[in-house]
Amino acid sequence: MSAGVNSTGKVVPLEALGDLVRDGVSVAVGGGWFANHPMAAVRQLIRAGRRDLHAITVVGSVDMDLMAAAGVLGHLSFSMVTLEAFGLAPNVRRAIESGRLPFTEYTGLGLLIGLEAQGRGVPFLPYRGPFGSDLPGKYPDIYTTIQCPFTGEELTAVRALQPDVAIVHALRADAEGNAQWDGTSGPDVEMAKAARRVIVTCEEVVGRDVIVASAHMTKLPGYYVHAVIEAPFGAHPTSHVPRYALDAWQLMEYAEAAGTDSIGDYVAQLRDETEEEYRKRVLAGRDSVLASLAEAGEILWVPAS
Amino acid sequence: MGASVMTDYEVHELMTCRVAAEVDEDGVTVMGSFTPLAYASYMLAKLTHAPRAYLVGFDAVGMAPVQLSFTGVEGAAYRGAVCRWGMLTEINSIHLSNHGGVEAVSSAQFDGSGAINLSAIGVFDTPKVRLPGGAGAAEVIKMYRKMVAYFGNHNKRTLVDQVEFVTGTRWRVGPAARAAAGLKPGPIVVVTNLAVLVKDEDDAPFLIESVHPGVTVQTVIDNTGFPLVAPKDVPTTDVPTPQQLDLLRNTIDPFGTVKFDFLPGRERLPYLKGILEAEWKRAAARSA
Repeated sequence: MSAGVNSTGKVVPLEALGDLVRDGVSVAVGGGWFANHPMAAVRQLIRAGRRDLHAITVVGSVDMDLMAAAGVLGHLSFSMVTLEAFGLAPNVRRAIESGRLPFTEYTGLGLLIGLEAQGRGVPFLPYRGPFGSDLPGKYPDIYTTIQCPFTGEELTAVRALQPDVAIVHALRADAEGNAQWDGTSGPDVEMAKAARRVIVTCEEVVGRDVIVASAHMTKLPGYYVHAVIEAPFGAHPTSHVPRYALDAWQLMEYAEAAGTDSIGDYVAQLRDETEEEYRKRVLAGRDSVLASLAEAGEILWVPAS
Repeated sequence: MGASVMTDYEVHELMTCRVAAEVDEDGVTVMGSFTPLAYASYMLAKLTHAPRAYLVGFDAVGMAPVQLSFTGVEGAAYRGAVCRWGMLTEINSIHLSNHGGVEAVSSAQFDGSGAINLSAIGVFDTPKVRLPGGAGAAEVIKMYRKMVAYFGNHNKRTLVDQVEFVTGTRWRVGPAARAAAGLKPGPIVVVTNLAVLVKDEDDAPFLIESVHPGVTVQTVIDNTGFPLVAPKDVPTTDVPTPQQLDLLRNTIDPFGTVKFDFLPGRERLPYLKGILEAEWKRAAARSA
């Protein structure tokens, strides 16, 4: 372990999350599709009874739907939310269709470029945008058209987006917050660079020496990070490759509950148990197979070198 | 006529082969998460006519072809890839820098201008059906050299006169208009369970390129909500070859993930459970 100043000050237990994320703030939630969402943190926000959060996701899935079901959300910014093979996200869908959940539908590139602008410290960035799409016209405070000052070309300008908090899930991090990913990192780095405060949950907290020995995997240096939380299986039931595959069986259980009244029981159960109890209940000795699933997919052909 | 060959095919297999035929070795394609028919098509192309097709699955850049499964594709994509990026780097380095190759997309609604709706049916703010959203499709279907749209159920609810909301659109279609806008020229190809439609000029309607065996031109016209041009003699779509069927069934998609999206609602969940049981058994055997 390093002996640097404040070398353990950023490491806090998951239970501290409720104090780090207050009601009403905007929270960028990392991961994408069914991969690497910070689900332990999502569950903890529900346990902490957080309300009125403005969640920001690029491609959300069970993370957003679960928060919608638990009444955590006050606004949702997204470019996609889907349960893929398990259908549309029923709680997000119901909340929007009934008018209960105000939302901002971004184009996928626009959302990431808005985060990039904030990370670079500029108020907007131009790009060859979603010309012809109806979305920019819905949000004139976010998207507008500008002319290139050099060529006169018409470009889309997207406004910088600064979340109050970003929560991302990494493979490992040290006490300084130096965080590493091996598989899907999705929008995590851009969200972290744009946010006022960054919370990294990770499969394991390691010593600085471990990070240094694999520094090529560090995608987020610690100076961006305010808190580090150890959360094994912290992306479950989404995947954290190469550690474990998505838990399709738990997702199926969620999807079956999500479209019905029994979603209330599903949420109540999460709310009333600790994260450790959650792991014990849902993994129930299945963790080795979930790990094996991440390795089981076959590569069909390796090109000759 | 010699040894018996596999000639019975299902329509999702024909569609997979036709989409695969559009995949080439020019440019890079970001596939994102696992979408069975698109993944099957790209893998088939890589194992046959386009081994150097450059693919990104999840954040796995330059991935090798992988066997399809709901739980195993992501891990396999990384194990066979040459680079691991994140979403923004992919956007900046592939989409915006004009390296995009062949984009395969599906949507709730699609119209004759090349627009897709993945946002809402009904009023946008309080819709009748809130759809998932388009992710990068709003920008990407415009930028990629070729847009391939696929639909398992060719009807007037999906192929509409005008989408209710334009999530994204091809924007410029003809080669001159695309070149003038700094975009690579390439067509829109629509592959459905009935036919193949193609459009490569802004002001011209979609042309019926071919109809699948047993489908009449009139059936295609009757089930399409936008105008079509039918040449005097419309060819029949190529059926899958025995080699393609063998690759799809025994190598690429032995669990049958592509068929899942073609099943009627009631049959979907039991079928999915069956696939997942097979995936679990394979992994459990490995970890035992």
